[in-house]
Amino acid sequence: MIGFASLIAGAVLLLLLLAAAINGWLASRPLGTGPAAGEEDATEPCPEELVNRVFSCADWEFVRGLKAAGIERLFEQERKKVALVWVRQTCAMVRKVMREHAGAARQSKNLEFPTEINIFAQFLILMGVCGILSAAIQLAGPLWLGSLAYFAQRLSQRVSKLQETFQAGALANAREAPSA
Amino acid sequence: MLSQSIWWSSIVLEVFLLTRGVSGRLIFRYPAFYGYISFVLAQSIFRSFVHRWSEELYSSVYWTTEFLGLILGCWIVFEIYRVALAAYPGTAKMARKILLFLFVLALAKADVALWSDPRLLAETTALQMERALRTVQAIAIVALVTVFASYSIPFGRNLRGILLGYGLFIAERVICLAFVPVAGKDFWFYAYSASYLVALGLWLGYLWSYQVIPEAENAQLERDYQLIMTTTQRRLQEARGQLRKAVRL
Repeated sequence: MIGFASLIAGAVLLLLLLAAAINGWLASRPLGTGPAAGEEDATEPCPEELVNRVFSCADWEFVRGLKAAGIERLFEQERKKVALVWVRQTCAMVRKVMREHAGAARQSKNLEFPTEINIFAQFLILMGVCGILSAAIQLAGPLWLGSLAYFAQRLSQRVSKLQETFQAGALANAREAPSA
Repeated sequence: MLSQSIWWSSIVLEVFLLTRGVSGRLIFRYPAFYGYISFVLAQSIFRSFVHRWSEELYSSVYWTTEFLGLILGCWIVFEIYRVALAAYPGTAKMARKILLFLFVLALAKADVALWSDPRLLAETTALQMERALRTVQAIAIVALVTVFASYSIPFGRNLRGILLGYGLFIAERVICLAFVPVAGKDFWFYAYSASYLVALGLWLGYLWSYQVIPEAENAQLERDYQLIMTTTQRRLQEARGQLRKAVRL
């Protein structure tokens, strides 16, 4: 058991150091360096209009009304590209927020350990959501994302309902068992 | 033959590294690191003498010096932490808490293992003990590197070399120790010995001459942590709101 744990620890350290060497995480960079390439535009969040437009079905319904298969295909492709750019930009913005936070917090003498862990967890969750969103857009397209989320919500509700029914049944069985 | 060439190469590289350290006055900047190299050099020569005198004594000398080296290795990790985070009290506090948590966890695990099987300590071989201690060391370095990377701590070339070399050495050792046989010489035995050569090569390249650690030239003035934290959380919540909106539309 300890052999396997050692192997995992060694492999993780090796990969981390290789990544650090390749990405220059431990580079001799001065403090307060500018944002990484591609993240310069992510200073501010995208306008709300854009999010409303990209993920809403209004435009799609209009295009579908034209009854031209070529335009529909082109529209879908373009929307997918714009949605992916938006996800990437949101992702870059989150990374920038964390970089700026790290830059400011590293010199703070009264840094709080639980708060830092909480912020890091939030960052990881957001990055995970961005990854899932990106994969969902690639697979289903931005227009079906709303319905996909609705479907997932319905599914989880159904699962929890089933679980409640199952628990109620199990409780009823448990109550009946001693009397039998 | 291969063991001999690895041994001689290590000696030559260690002498060369120490010579460069003295001539570049790096030895005064990184005393723990050069202390470790001097110790390993002295231990190699001492072990070879003991090996000629008495085969029986060799085993106990080997394991005593091996564990002393392991303790001195922890001193290198402490030196990396001390030098790199001298200007960053916030990150230093974070690193301390994480390392403390890991050591408490390792102690608790060892305690539970001993509690469930009191004969464990008597039955554990020196090789297994080294593997367990090196694993704890590897986990501590992983935590430290993660903290350095998360807080974008600027590293000088020399310190980066020490960390990369020592980290690589520990990673290779830990992997090799998972496979190395108790008796006999196979690939993993030679890989275990050669892992130190790789680290020495890296150290020689990175510690050829002294390089200044990037100073906190345009470091921001220390801001109130509560303000930093509130701003970050607000901005992260904004991003979360945007993502939620995209899914709900």
